[in-house]
Amino acid sequence: MIKEKVTIKNSAGLHARPSAQLVKLASKFKSDFYIHSYGYRVNGKSILGVMTLAAESGAELELELEGPDEEEALKAIKEAIENKFGMDEE
Amino acid sequence: MSFSFDENTETTIKARSAASGISIGPALVIKAGSQKISPTAITESEIEAHKEKFCSARASLVKELEKMSGGLQDKSTAEIIEAQQQIIEDPEIKRTVFEIVEKKLLSVDFAVYETFSSFIEQLKESGSELFRQRIIDLEDIRDRYVSKVCDHATELKVPEGAILVASKISPTELVNYYEEGAGGLVLEKGGITSHAVIIAKSLGIPCLINADNATKVVSSNEMVILDADKGGLILDPSDEVLKEYAEKLKGAQVSVKADRAAGFETKDGFPFKLMANVEFEAELPRVSEMKAQGIGLLRTESLLFGKKLRKDVEDQEAFYTAMLENSEGPVTIRLFDIGGDKNARRPYKEANPFLGWRGIRLLLDEKKLLRSQLKAILTIAGKYTGRVKLLIPMISVVDEIDQVRDEIEKMQGALLSSGTPIDEDLPIGIMVEVPSVALSAFHFAKKVDFLSIGSNDLTQYTLAVDRGNEKIHTLFQHYHPAVLKLIKMTVKGAEKAGANVSVCGELSGDEIGAACLMGFGINELSMVPNSLPAIYDLLSSRNKKDFDELAEKAVDLSSSEELEQFFREWKDQTA
Repeated sequence: MIKEKVTIKNSAGLHARPSAQLVKLASKFKSDFYIHSYGYRVNGKSILGVMTLAAESGAELELELEGPDEEEALKAIKEAIENKFGMDEE
Repeated sequence: MSFSFDENTETTIKARSAASGISIGPALVIKAGSQKISPTAITESEIEAHKEKFCSARASLVKELEKMSGGLQDKSTAEIIEAQQQIIEDPEIKRTVFEIVEKKLLSVDFAVYETFSSFIEQLKESGSELFRQRIIDLEDIRDRYVSKVCDHATELKVPEGAILVASKISPTELVNYYEEGAGGLVLEKGGITSHAVIIAKSLGIPCLINADNATKVVSSNEMVILDADKGGLILDPSDEVLKEYAEKLKGAQVSVKADRAAGFETKDGFPFKLMANVEFEAELPRVSEMKAQGIGLLRTESLLFGKKLRKDVEDQEAFYTAMLENSEGPVTIRLFDIGGDKNARRPYKEANPFLGWRGIRLLLDEKKLLRSQLKAILTIAGKYTGRVKLLIPMISVVDEIDQVRDEIEKMQGALLSSGTPIDEDLPIGIMVEVPSVALSAFHFAKKVDFLSIGSNDLTQYTLAVDRGNEKIHTLFQHYHPAVLKLIKMTVKGAEKAGANVSVCGELSGDEIGAACLMGFGINELSMVPNSLPAIYDLLSSRNKKDFDELAEKAVDLSSSEELEQFFREWKDQTA
């Protein structure tokens, strides 16, 4: 199992479209994916779970991955969050 | 012993009759999707079946979405659909639902409802603005899920002659139950012209509406008598009452088969045509049984909303072919009239759907969908030359006709160049539903071959009354003199332009309506098949002059009540 902390950079937070993209990306990997945030732990492959996080801009999330492709998955997910999910909204 | 249904008692429920007739059978109570679902205990042996129900509901919801996205092109719609798919396939939904079913031993409908509701609560409590708009979507998906897992027609056995008791029901569900053997319908809600009620009439099954609390008072498998002639439901009838009703039923069945060898004309030889409104193949036997002279309105929305989504050109062609093969005379095919009250599965919410993106307005934006339907209809029209007519719904400005005609011509050209025969004289018509079309009928009529008056929508737009809203159902008066005046204007404008006029709304199947329409000179009326015998009797037993006099007077009256009274006197005098 690996864990890593990241910060949400999208100015509008993790709203509908980036949440959808996050879930879509994570679902491509075999590894289990959980997100910890302010005491909550949600399934990162669940759109409803990610929605209930209601992560605003600047929110700190801890990504937890466990499975055969955990390294690869972490890298891809981190990258997507860093790149604001390809949204140049700012 | 005779029943009156003046008020509710322990063994009777008072209701409003929406489709006449009597039916005796075991009740089948249907839980509606949008209501709060209460927990029902299940046994351990039922766990697997309930889990399976969830999986098949999930699969069919996804399938419907996929089919839907196929016909829609723009990117934002595709995104909305993808988001819905993620929600439907959410692994946490499945996990939680299974947990409730397995560990708490509660039924799957409740498990789904509870799971979604708790997520929705969490979202609301988070106070975050991020997903506020999504809450409505979630509630919508929850309700669709629940009604899917409750889809008894495919999951449960429908006892022969079952009397359906529901809060509300979709037309597709109703047809499914009918095909499984249901013989009556009792609704807590619904207006007299709501879609399901029209289908009930068309299928020839008695129907009651406004039956307060029926789903709570009646229990499934209990024997009930539905008396839509008197407007009530009898619970737990005694043997004596059952016998009395069984005899009534026998008598009623004989009188339905009226002899109509005399031909379709008034007493003094003025010809008229009585056609049938049809939506499902299941209705066709009644169409010929009632001796309709053709299909005056073929609704096609079931291709989009039915259980089997059939949007591909080939699937559509198969549907139209079945209709033409199993009927006689002309078949007027109406383009998809989506929107209004028929948008349950559209990804958009509108504040005023009846004034919104519906009918031809939607089709002109969704060209792929429009073209696929035109291709299917024009191909079939070429195969059955002279029998197909094309009808465009929800026209409100003249320019829309030009745009559709342009699409038709292009498609006909494409078909010809690929060697597919077409019907060069295919009659093209528009629905008269919006008052603007009636008021400026001449300008619309000169661009088409025929006008078909959709009296339900024309009434709703003229009197500003939502026809599905039971609170104001008394205001929905389709033979209100103001509506009749608009129809008279339509006839005048069409005559000047040389276009035919027919009527395909509920007004045609109503004695007062049909008589006035004849008086206006409209001699092609399309209605639910069951109304045919009564209208035939009325029209064939009077002279054309009588109808003319009635119609002339009707438009000058001040209210529907006045017209009702005048009609009664007229009927006695001309009998």
